[in-house]
Amino acid sequence: MNKTDEQLAQQAKEAFDRSVDGLDAATLSRLNRGRQAALGAAENPRREWLRWMPATGVAAAVLVLMFTLDGPGDIDVISAPATDLEILLSEESIEMLEELEFYSWLDAEDLEGDGDLG
Amino acid sequence: MTAEVSVFAVSCTAKPTGARTLQKERQLGQFLAEVERRALRIAEIGVRDRDDALDLVQDAMIKLVRNYGGRCKDEWAPLFYRILQNGVRDWHRRQAVRNRVMVWFQKAKSDDNDYDVIAAAPDPIGRSPDEELQNSEAMQDMETAVQQLPRRQQEAFMLRTFEGLDVAGTAVAMGCSEGSVKTHYSRAIHTLRDKLGEHWQ
Repeated sequence: MNKTDEQLAQQAKEAFDRSVDGLDAATLSRLNRGRQAALGAAENPRREWLRWMPATGVAAAVLVLMFTLDGPGDIDVISAPATDLEILLSEESIEMLEELEFYSWLDAEDLEGDGDLG
Repeated sequence: MTAEVSVFAVSCTAKPTGARTLQKERQLGQFLAEVERRALRIAEIGVRDRDDALDLVQDAMIKLVRNYGGRCKDEWAPLFYRILQNGVRDWHRRQAVRNRVMVWFQKAKSDDNDYDVIAAAPDPIGRSPDEELQNSEAMQDMETAVQQLPRRQQEAFMLRTFEGLDVAGTAVAMGCSEGSVKTHYSRAIHTLRDKLGEHWQ
C-alpha cells in the first residue's frame, strides 16, 4: 500500500471516528440498553420452544394465504421456494449454520480447554 | 480504540471457567462499551438503516456473551465482528427474499392499482436532518463510496480501517484466508481512491 492509499485510509478513519463521535444521545441510550440486555441475557437461559412459537404461527398464516389468494397465472405458488420461507422465518444465523467447519474448529479448541464457552 | 488488535498471535493463557467470574463480566461489559458505537456505524453503513443496525449490534452482543463470553478476551473482537457480519449478510438475504415476496403480492393485486410500494417506502437511511448535519460532507461521500463496494471488499475495508483489526483478526471475522483479506482490502482502497478522487488526496 503506497503513501496515497495510507493517507486515504487515514482520512477515512478520521471521518468515520467523527461520525461515531457525532452519534446522538438517543442512539447511545439504545446502545447502552442493548448492552445491558445482552449482559443480562447470559444469566437467563433461553426457553427454546418459545422461540419457535411466532415462527410457527407466521408460517401457518403464510401457507393459508398462499393457498387461498388468487395469485398471478405466471407464478407457480407451489414452487415458491421453501428455502425462502425458511430464510424469512428463521431467527438463526444462516451464515453461522453454513460454517460448520468454523464450529468444528471452535469445538476442537474447546476440547483442548475445559469446554465451557459460556 | 485505534490500536490494531492482534488476535491469535497473542497467547491466551486464560482458560474459560465453568462459572463466568465477576471480573469476566466486567471485562465483557467494558469490551462491548468500547466497541458498540463503531460496530453500530459499521452495521449502519452495511444495511443503511439505523434501527436495523441497532438490532444487529444487540443481537451480536447477545450471541457473543452467550456463546463466547468465556473465551480469551483477545478473541472477542474478531468473534464479535464475525457474528455481526454474519448478521448483516443474513439481513441482506432476508431483504432480497422479502422483496421477492412483495413483488409476488403486488402481482397478485389488480392491475388497476397504481400504488407504488417502493415510492411510498421511507428513506432507507432513516436519518433525521439533525443527524445529517452532524456528519461531514466528506464522511457522506466516503460512506456512499463504501456502500457501493462489493460486500466482501466493504467488510475488509471497514474491519481493517474503521475497527483497526489486523489482517489475522479480519480473516477470522470474515471467515476467509489472510490472503483474501489483503486482496479484498487492496481492491477496496483502489476503488475508493478512484471514486473519491482529488478531495481525498
